[in-house]
Amino acid sequence: MNGRAGERVFQFLCWLSAAALIGAVLMILGYLVLKGAGSLTPELLFGDTDPLKALTGRAQVFDGILPAMAGTVALVVLSVGFALPVGIAAGIYFAVYAPPRVKGVLALLVDILASVPSIVIGLFGLALVIFLHKHLSPAIQPSLLISSIALACLVLPYIIRTTEVSIDSIEPELKLAGQAFGASKLQNTFYILIPRALSGIISGSILAIGRAAEDTAVIMLTGVVASVGMPGALTGKYEAVPFFIYYISAQYANQRELAQGYGAALVLLMICLGLFGLAFLIKRRLESRFFYRG
Amino acid sequence: MQPRSEQAAERILLVCAVLSSLITAAILVFMLIMGLPLLAGGRIFTLAISAWEPGRELFGIYPMLLGTLAVAPLALIIALPVSLGTAALIGVAQPRGAVLFVRRFVQLMTGIPTVVYGFVGVFLLVPLIRGMAGRGTGMCVLTAALLLALLVAPTMILFFGEAFQSVPRAYLLAVDAIGADRWQKFCHVILPNAWRGVLGGIVMATGRAFGDTMIALMVAGNAARVPQSVYDPVRTLTSHIALIKAADYNSLEFKSIFACGLALYLVASVLVVLIRRIGRHEAAR
Amino acid sequence: MRLFKLAIVFTLMLAVLLAAAGCPAPEEETSTPVTAAQDKPAPPAEVDDNVPAPKLVSEEAGEINISGGTAHIPVMEEAQKVFAVMYPNVKISIAGGGSGVGIKQVGEGLVQIGNSGRAPTEEEITTHGLVEFKWAIDGVAAVVHPDNPVSDLTKEQLIKVFAGEITNWSELGGADKGINVYTRDEESGTRKVFVELGLDDGSFVDTANVVVSNGAMKSAIAQDPDGIGYVSVGHIDETVKGLALDGVAPSLENVKSGAFGISRGLYSLTKGEPEGIVKAFLDFLYTDEGKQIITDKGFIPAG
Repeated sequence: MNGRAGERVFQFLCWLSAAALIGAVLMILGYLVLKGAGSLTPELLFGDTDPLKALTGRAQVFDGILPAMAGTVALVVLSVGFALPVGIAAGIYFAVYAPPRVKGVLALLVDILASVPSIVIGLFGLALVIFLHKHLSPAIQPSLLISSIALACLVLPYIIRTTEVSIDSIEPELKLAGQAFGASKLQNTFYILIPRALSGIISGSILAIGRAAEDTAVIMLTGVVASVGMPGALTGKYEAVPFFIYYISAQYANQRELAQGYGAALVLLMICLGLFGLAFLIKRRLESRFFYRG
Repeated sequence: MQPRSEQAAERILLVCAVLSSLITAAILVFMLIMGLPLLAGGRIFTLAISAWEPGRELFGIYPMLLGTLAVAPLALIIALPVSLGTAALIGVAQPRGAVLFVRRFVQLMTGIPTVVYGFVGVFLLVPLIRGMAGRGTGMCVLTAALLLALLVAPTMILFFGEAFQSVPRAYLLAVDAIGADRWQKFCHVILPNAWRGVLGGIVMATGRAFGDTMIALMVAGNAARVPQSVYDPVRTLTSHIALIKAADYNSLEFKSIFACGLALYLVASVLVVLIRRIGRHEAAR
Repeated sequence: MRLFKLAIVFTLMLAVLLAAAGCPAPEEETSTPVTAAQDKPAPPAEVDDNVPAPKLVSEEAGEINISGGTAHIPVMEEAQKVFAVMYPNVKISIAGGGSGVGIKQVGEGLVQIGNSGRAPTEEEITTHGLVEFKWAIDGVAAVVHPDNPVSDLTKEQLIKVFAGEITNWSELGGADKGINVYTRDEESGTRKVFVELGLDDGSFVDTANVVVSNGAMKSAIAQDPDGIGYVSVGHIDETVKGLALDGVAPSLENVKSGAFGISRGLYSLTKGEPEGIVKAFLDFLYTDEGKQIITDKGFIPAG
């Protein structure tokens, strides 16, 4: 009798927790959709500028988020471009080559890198700029390139861990099969292990893209500004969507800017959830530990 | 077959692995060098216990240390019961229908950008809390902690869920056989056997709660003062770093943010070591 | 051998990514920039004779980075828009930070123009060889939510409110509600001016919420019915109410005449005499069109 009641209470509490959590998140997302959906027009991107002229570069966009979108795309492409080759190579090393003792030390450092808060990585980027500015060339300043390097440091551990885990989780029989046929370690890695782990690696990389796209703390210390126009050079300042959202939240000047903020937040949300869905489809099994971000 | 390219390949991969790990060390070195003048001698203690009043040449990070210690644990306390309940639902009940939806939803939550939480927080939660408190601006410890709880909950839930599911099946069957109900099963079998996983999830979430910048920066008011209640504004270590304008690189004011960075770095490192400890025991079992 | 193939693929990937990111901005192909001018309302035809105002589209290219004073930002952004039509190849970035940041960054050579909402000190000018351009006169006024019945404070009351000695609006003739004090960070020129001239070097209560710019102060007060802060007079609009000080309203006229006590100049600073596009941009602020922008944004053009 008592047990039954206990079970019911327990079940009720579990459902209540889930409902509270989902309710809270739905409220936030619903509020955003309600306020932001109306802003999802071409004007959000282009402002007063003629879209055709903006896209062909004949006119600059000042009241739209096109420059911020372009900045975010440039950031993501650069940072993931930097991190991907290094990260995948390091992941392969950890999974296939590393002697246990070496792996113990190096993997610990990578784990720490994964858990260092992003603002600290931004601070590292800033320190790097100051160092180079003082000792190499006074021309070096916070810029798109510096932000990309710092962001690459942020997403690197995700890429390493997904690569490593994707290879590790291949069935042991398959891991040995290649070598049984006389393939070298390298051949085995590239012809059997990597193709097999590819979906995991790709989905991890997509999550890294999402992480790079949404991060605000790193870029706000390393070169993002509220207003500059389209990103032009690696050494220049740039705009970015998450920073735009932060900026608007604190200092929108009028209702129009506020509406743009809602629109931009909704766009960023859709991009991130879209990337997330894509990664999910590519690799249906998700590892909770990769979502640890600071 | 091709020993030279074999060797070259291994070397390239090794270089990438070492490079990646060296970044971690480089961050530490940079923090130490930049913050050194403040850390030398006994000044580190002054720094840790004194107030932040640049006008009076006081560059202590004490209010921010306490600010972080107010916001992060409160967020964890709010998130823990909710996460335990949700994780139990996912881990214990069959993941079908509504339960499957809950699981997918929690996974999806990990993809929501932090700055989006902050943005909606400013316009939705802040006025609500202001009304509730009846005083203050609504930008306070509680507002930040509530949003932060949403941010860390999926980390906890997914980690807990894994731990619950890794309890040996034989145990569960045995409990079923003696006719225990789900509640008894959860409390007497699953939780005691998965407590390390639960601990790991909490540690993991602690890292996220300590490290997040945007939520506290956007909704906590940023007053550099030790908060006296949950309705007081607060500045965390992370938002302190974000707020300092890097203008005069040699000023003590600027150097003090590297002390904040160092503190956060150390917390992160300790948590990683903790997680590894917990994980090792888990693996040994 | 396969390894080399793979290495090549990686390198190519990286190269493509870099190339794609290096030139994502199609505006580099500015073949026919002339048409852009037609998007804007026709600029005033007459130009101040003393100031050479470039009216034709210039092919000059380059970068102007601006940072510092946040009161300046609306004017800078509008000037950026108009300037972009005349100089389509010039990239202007505008960042805030506060006057202190602007002065230090321009001194360090990190930006070409540092803005300040207070006069730079002798020391600041001589250390870095700064040249100052005062292009507007502005005031700083305490602001509250438009629904707040309080609309006039004495200086004594003002000092006590910001010091945290008066903590309830009822003490000032308002509702029985606690006062939420907002302030700016130490880099702010607006703060410095307000403390000196408004608070007679008084201090802020340590529970004050800290915001990072004039814009942020305005939106914070617009959202908080019980808040009080201070902004550049140019930023006051229908979303916040400027408080009269000792009976003098913070209007442009009163600032101009000197009746409203808390006034200041808005400055742009360069390291050494400005040249080329930087000079052209600063000169623009003194043209009729520039002055119109300054007036439209709520300031009094100077010089």
